[in-house]
Amino acid sequence: MSANAHGPSEALKGLVRRQYFWGIVAIALLLLVNLVKDPGYLAVSIGQSGNLAGNVIDILRAAAPIILIAVGMCLVVSTGGIDLSVGSVMAVAGAVSMEFLNGASDTVGSGLAAVGLVVIVSAALGAVNGVLVSVVGLQPFISTLVIMLAGRGLAKVITGGQNTTATNETFRWIANGYVLGLPVVFLLALLLALLMGLLVRRSALGLMLEAIGMDAKAARLAGVNRRALLFTVYILGGVLAGFAGVFATASVMTVDVSRTGYQLELDAILAVVIGGTSLAGGKFNITGAVVGAILIATLDKTVVFLGVSSSATPAFKAVVIVVLCLLQSERVRRMFRQRRAAGAARPAEREVVAA
Amino acid sequence: MSAKHRLAQAIGMTTVGALALGLAACGGDSGGDDGVTTIGFVAVGPEGAWREANETNIQDTFTEEAGYELKYAPATNLDQKSQIDAFTSFVDEGVDVILLSATEATGWEDSLKRAQEAEIPVILLDRGIEPNDTDLYVTRIAPDNIEVSTAVADWAVSAFPDGANYFVLEGPAGVSVVNERNEGFDAVAGAQPSLVKVGAQTANWSTEEAKGVVETVLKSNGNDIQFIFAQNDEMGLGAVQAVQEAGLTPGVDVKIATIDGTKNALTALAAGELSFVAEYNPLFGETALDVVEKVLAGDEVESSIVVPSATFDSPEAAETALPDRKF
Repeated sequence: MSANAHGPSEALKGLVRRQYFWGIVAIALLLLVNLVKDPGYLAVSIGQSGNLAGNVIDILRAAAPIILIAVGMCLVVSTGGIDLSVGSVMAVAGAVSMEFLNGASDTVGSGLAAVGLVVIVSAALGAVNGVLVSVVGLQPFISTLVIMLAGRGLAKVITGGQNTTATNETFRWIANGYVLGLPVVFLLALLLALLMGLLVRRSALGLMLEAIGMDAKAARLAGVNRRALLFTVYILGGVLAGFAGVFATASVMTVDVSRTGYQLELDAILAVVIGGTSLAGGKFNITGAVVGAILIATLDKTVVFLGVSSSATPAFKAVVIVVLCLLQSERVRRMFRQRRAAGAARPAEREVVAA
Repeated sequence: MSAKHRLAQAIGMTTVGALALGLAACGGDSGGDDGVTTIGFVAVGPEGAWREANETNIQDTFTEEAGYELKYAPATNLDQKSQIDAFTSFVDEGVDVILLSATEATGWEDSLKRAQEAEIPVILLDRGIEPNDTDLYVTRIAPDNIEVSTAVADWAVSAFPDGANYFVLEGPAGVSVVNERNEGFDAVAGAQPSLVKVGAQTANWSTEEAKGVVETVLKSNGNDIQFIFAQNDEMGLGAVQAVQEAGLTPGVDVKIATIDGTKNALTALAAGELSFVAEYNPLFGETALDVVEKVLAGDEVESSIVVPSATFDSPEAAETALPDRKF
């Protein structure tokens, strides 16, 4: 998480060397583009009831669910796996909470109970992934694909194919409320990301996950409990996706069984890759995943703010992401650097992001 | 190994069972003129509230009391192949009429020709086919997207005599429904110079995405938007929440019109949050029954039948319609 630095200049150098540095540059550039279109873009005003309001705040709010699934994805990817089921788990989480709240009274208790229920259900789905991967030994791609397809079906069964709506002020506050003027969702997402970061980086957990991702057999010989760790990681991924589902549905208090979390697994994977985590496993960077998630939210908001037409939106996004991946690629960067002293060229980082 | 064996056994048993049932059913039918007309319904299956209302309505219309035996065959996961299989087996069984809601527009020629050779009339429900060869089927019964979206535009013209800035929330780019709803709306609204389109963006039919889009669009236009046209109810409801959060009053500062006419939208209209809801009527079982009777009697029917759709332009209209809203 931390750039091992001793002074501010060293810290800056360390930051520049990080892959997610280019993610930060991209965010800045996108904000700049918006600023050119509207000089007041970055303005943050104090809206009604003392909350901060502005485009930047909207971006932070939109980034929250992506941050959560990206952090979960980051851990799973570090073990050499992948979790395609996060979007569907979000839909199930939304369906469970909305169905529950639809019949419950509008109290703080039922709001919290809904969140508790989501944690249980999403942990169970994560556990199914975990069992399929660690005990049965299926490929992560296939096992999570099963849950991805089955999950959306499950969400439809839970709501009876309807898009269930509900009212609960507590639950709604999670996605729409403010603390100290900042959106609750963003603070919660950041808090969870921070907790995850501390958990894996302040203990040996992170190293063990990376060990599994590098060479499962060697890790086992070194005494790493592969089965238990994989199991835990998929459960964590499931629970984080469950929270993301709560954020997404609480924002409008409606679950859209076919749309909630739809294709968000791709956003999560993208955020993870932008953040410098190798899809081959063996190394991960949670800060990078958070930066990647914020970048994706910024990109989504920019598309709307600039008024890019619906049909051109995917192309616009693709161009931004391809350029970013090119910037991150060591080989491309070296081409730009050739004019400089040969001694400056560092050995290539082990994994170059494949676009 | 043994588990696998047992599974295989179970599958075998189920298949045999299903076949036996199927044969029994056939036996019943080929008994012939006991006054029961068999209808094969090649349906879309679970897709959303609209589809559910539509297919339940069809199933409730062609009942045994009405003298029909309806065989309902929903597609598995919106897969066209499963529909073609169901269609073919209906032809082989020799049902009297086939109702078809195709999940995909293309690739139906061979199946329809087989039905024609077997002299089984085919009636398309809702979804059309491409290429639209009217010789291959009897008629298509469906609400008209262009007509429905024109109704929204007509309302907008009358609701904003002094003009307005408007924004369109579209469905996914390239889908025929989206194109048709744009076409009908633009034909009227585009010809009105006082209505200024500030933009259009997809929110993929989703409430959540629509909220995010409108929140940003309001900021980028300094809240200077008086009218939002959402191409389905869900997106309209998302727009309502975004407008509220921007500190504006939906229905007063920003009027929102939607298409579909689900219960949720009418509730919002009754509460004054939406201003106009154009129904895309899924309940055309009666029309279908009428057509089937005519076809079986050998009468001519039009090759395209438009299902009339209502519009709701006031909270009172919504309140009247709400109690017996089926979807």
